[in-house]
Amino acid sequence: MCIWWETWALFRPDAPSDKPCVVADNQHVVAANQAARTAGVVRGMKRRSAEAICPGGLVLDQDISAELARFEPVVRSIEDLVPMVEVAEPGLIFIDIDGAVAFYGGEGELVELVAKTIQTRERPRIGVANSPFAARRAAGVAHPGGVYAVTDDATFLTDVAIDSLTNQDLVATFRWLGISTLGQLSQLPRDTIVSRFGAEGLRAHQLASGQDRSTQPRAVPVDVFVERRFEDPLERLEQVGFAARAAATELVGELRRNGSATHRVEVEAEAADGAIRLRVWRNADPFDEVMLAERVWWQLRAWIESHGITGGMVRLRLSPADVSGGGRQLGFFEDTMAVMEADRALARVQALIGPDQVLGAVPQGGRDPADRVSWHRWGEPPELVAPAAPWPGATPGPSPALVISQRIEVEWDEEQPTRVRLRSRWEPVLNWAGPWRRTGRWWTGEPDADRYQLVTSVGALLCERRDGGMYLIGLYD
Amino acid sequence: MAATTLLQQRVRQKALQTANQRGRQASREELAALIATHTTTLSGPATELTLVPGRVIGLEGPVGTGLTRLALVMLAEIASRAPVAIVDTRGWFCPVAAWEVGIPPARLSVIRCSDAEKWPSVLGALLTGLGGIYAEVPPGVPDQVLRRLSAKARQERAAVALRPMSGQLPAGITHMRLTAERVTWSGPDRGHGRLSGRSLSLYASGKGVRGIEQRFGVEDDGTSDVHLVGNLGAVSPGRAVG
Repeated sequence: MCIWWETWALFRPDAPSDKPCVVADNQHVVAANQAARTAGVVRGMKRRSAEAICPGGLVLDQDISAELARFEPVVRSIEDLVPMVEVAEPGLIFIDIDGAVAFYGGEGELVELVAKTIQTRERPRIGVANSPFAARRAAGVAHPGGVYAVTDDATFLTDVAIDSLTNQDLVATFRWLGISTLGQLSQLPRDTIVSRFGAEGLRAHQLASGQDRSTQPRAVPVDVFVERRFEDPLERLEQVGFAARAAATELVGELRRNGSATHRVEVEAEAADGAIRLRVWRNADPFDEVMLAERVWWQLRAWIESHGITGGMVRLRLSPADVSGGGRQLGFFEDTMAVMEADRALARVQALIGPDQVLGAVPQGGRDPADRVSWHRWGEPPELVAPAAPWPGATPGPSPALVISQRIEVEWDEEQPTRVRLRSRWEPVLNWAGPWRRTGRWWTGEPDADRYQLVTSVGALLCERRDGGMYLIGLYD
Repeated sequence: MAATTLLQQRVRQKALQTANQRGRQASREELAALIATHTTTLSGPATELTLVPGRVIGLEGPVGTGLTRLALVMLAEIASRAPVAIVDTRGWFCPVAAWEVGIPPARLSVIRCSDAEKWPSVLGALLTGLGGIYAEVPPGVPDQVLRRLSAKARQERAAVALRPMSGQLPAGITHMRLTAERVTWSGPDRGHGRLSGRSLSLYASGKGVRGIEQRFGVEDDGTSDVHLVGNLGAVSPGRAVG
């Protein structure tokens, strides 16, 4: 469920209601009241254009931190009904209602209860859908104070304008190509989109098809979090700001080392009196250091100013609520241009030889070198990989650089390999290690096997003895 | 790594020769110091055996001599700051070996291309965007095409290692050519132990060794560090190739 207050930025004491008023960030209009809208000002318009259209109107600078402080009581009131409310920005929240629907006896009952609970000057728009992206679009369609429920995300998104994608460069290209709705985009072959636009194109196609990124999550590593304890409670906002920035940088760095990124982060703070506050922040793009530090800072300031943290903060913990490999943000010291150029070059290669021949790989659990690799097309997210496990009977490292699967002939003398035939030549086995027993999965018909490392004068081989034959499965090159 | 490998014995012999030339017997400490001076690490800044932007390294030798892992170690340094790619002509490459030498999974792309007609276009496209490339060269790629690609690598400042799947690379395209001579494995003992290290003997030729053909040794103990046992002596005078 998505709850959206279109003009939350105007809910401030210095915003007049009887004359045109606009709230803007450095460049664009964030919110406009009815009088300004009547004059022609719309959300997203350039600030300078709004000032030209409505010269008598009051233009206020956006103060997100203050907006969030005013938004905090609203979030708390909703959290009393449904836990784990996810804040995207002041005035925009997402709620996973799967459990709550069963608890309150139905979607309609839940929505009605939430709508009754919200006591704000302006009624919010509520969208209900299976994915956050579709829910946000549904909230945009709903009337103020109304609810728009979507039963089939893909069908609903068919007529939604292509502008709803966040990457405006991509939107401009799609428009230039004559694609004006998400439905038109979703009808194009995904392979073609990926080979032309890479990871960004894939993401756009997935969203247009009603497949939000939550459909392919990775397992969240239990050890990836940042926790800081403060012997002297932090009471001043400046101290809290420094702590937020340091913790956010550390968490994003930790995720980057894992080759992953997060779209949702849990911010947890403990007050000196023992009270613990927890809030989940969501973003359409993966968090980078700056974005995450901003949101943590906004949240902590909102808690402090609304007396949610009394006596100062003694503990701060940031942990990813989900992890994905897609859309990884580049670090400050990463060669951004090199990554962009590499993406372009690989997209060209995909166009030359097909997307199935340009591959990425991620580690997964397994006993043999070939099993430890999860291949995926470059630009597409890797499949959910098996968790790390001890894998008893795994072939010891170092791994062979080449993996093959072909039958070879080996001569044995009292269960000791003596010669191996490589192509037309018989090579003497100079030494060998093993066997390592591999118990087959009998329920799939896989036989048991013994693996050997054979050393010959032309190299070392990893071989497997099964079904009465010997198979070459790896070459140490 | 076992202490008595062939290459270490050679280094020891050279160290002894050096000490004897000074007119006295080398002590154990002097021997250790001399061995250390003749041993550098591939990932170290002073070595010649690294992939350098704008230069092509040729790796020649039969499968099984450890040249793939040597190329991966060379790529690992570049992969620490930029994406790298591997052109696999046989579909045999296993990324686990790349991860073991320190190439992050997110920075590694594997391109499978065995078609000698498409291969030049693929490598040409990669040269425009990838900082480090290890490419197997399929049989049938004309020499003049390889020369053009080599020139493009210099122009694009791409670091490239080429490994011909048959025959040799044509003269004049590589900055340095490494030819595998012999590989010795350590670890297995008639059913006991496991493969734990290898010593690779290489000939180096080309501009990278100032035109003087040299014999090098590479010690690989299975970790990310591959040690170069350098300057085991010049090969008999001959014409430099590459």
